[in-house]
Amino acid sequence: MKHWTEGFDDDDADETLVRPYTITGGRTAPERDDLTLITLVTAISTASSETGHGLRRMQPEHRTILALCKRPLAVAEVASALNLPVSVTKILIGDLIEADQVRARPPLAFAQAGGFPGMTILEAVRDGLRNL
Amino acid sequence: MDYAISDHGDAAPLAVKILIAGGFGVGKTTLVGAVSEVAPLRTEEYLTHASVGVDDLEGVNGKSTTTVALDFGRITISSELVLYLFGTPGQERFWFMWNDLVNGAMGAVVLVDTRRLDVSFASIDFFESRGIPFVVGVNCFHGVRDRTQEEIRRALDLDPQVPLVLCDARDRTAGRDVLLALIDHLMAAQSRTAPHPVA
Repeated sequence: MKHWTEGFDDDDADETLVRPYTITGGRTAPERDDLTLITLVTAISTASSETGHGLRRMQPEHRTILALCKRPLAVAEVASALNLPVSVTKILIGDLIEADQVRARPPLAFAQAGGFPGMTILEAVRDGLRNL
Repeated sequence: MDYAISDHGDAAPLAVKILIAGGFGVGKTTLVGAVSEVAPLRTEEYLTHASVGVDDLEGVNGKSTTTVALDFGRITISSELVLYLFGTPGQERFWFMWNDLVNGAMGAVVLVDTRRLDVSFASIDFFESRGIPFVVGVNCFHGVRDRTQEEIRRALDLDPQVPLVLCDARDRTAGRDVLLALIDHLMAAQSRTAPHPVA
């Protein structure tokens, strides 16, 4: 991958950096586009913090995500807890997936093509709501 | 790519979401807060008008970027299922281009305020055009019921199949009942499309 500073003069870089993107090393888009607002992220408890190629560029925010995701949290919840935009949060979570530190469970996919959630899911949601 | 998605056994529950839409000030966040198990959370996203690749930083100064905030809540249905409620940003022109917000939604609740029905027109148009099932919740927390349900339906030009529910967005039970109306609506649609379910 091209380094993000390639093609920049130093002056330009100073002017155009948006602060949250300093956390991501200047990356403005996630390398993966499969993370959604409600993809559930869980820290892999057995993952050693001493291994993994990605850890050299680990930011404090990465460690915060690992701590938060001891129980499964949606990407939106992680973003809210970090007080960072969703797109920045997705980049950081992507790093942790690459480094085998977290796993991600995508949501059920429907409604894109006129599909409906299955009866089993609907009944489960209905029963859950009735118990509120 | 080794993404560890397939390993569902010990891991996360399944997540589903419902959108709470309607114009500015109709009580979306109030409804989310009334039924959510946590106080409504807030998150932000940058929306840009052009899709920009990772390496395409040229011209970044001229690109218009908007920060949009959305409030959301969570209802844990079971250890295997979590429902997220997303209040859509009040200015529809922003969330119309936010596919991540809309994709994969089970359905939507469009809240309306009878004094300002027009602010929710855009939401109704949006879900109709995208084919996303929705119910209309008439928020009566001002105590104003100056219109009959029939008048509201006519004013919204609502399809007769779309349920219309009176509610008080501040009230947990009333908010829950709007969500249940949506689930019933989805189940009815499901049985129409699949009259002979396998399971």
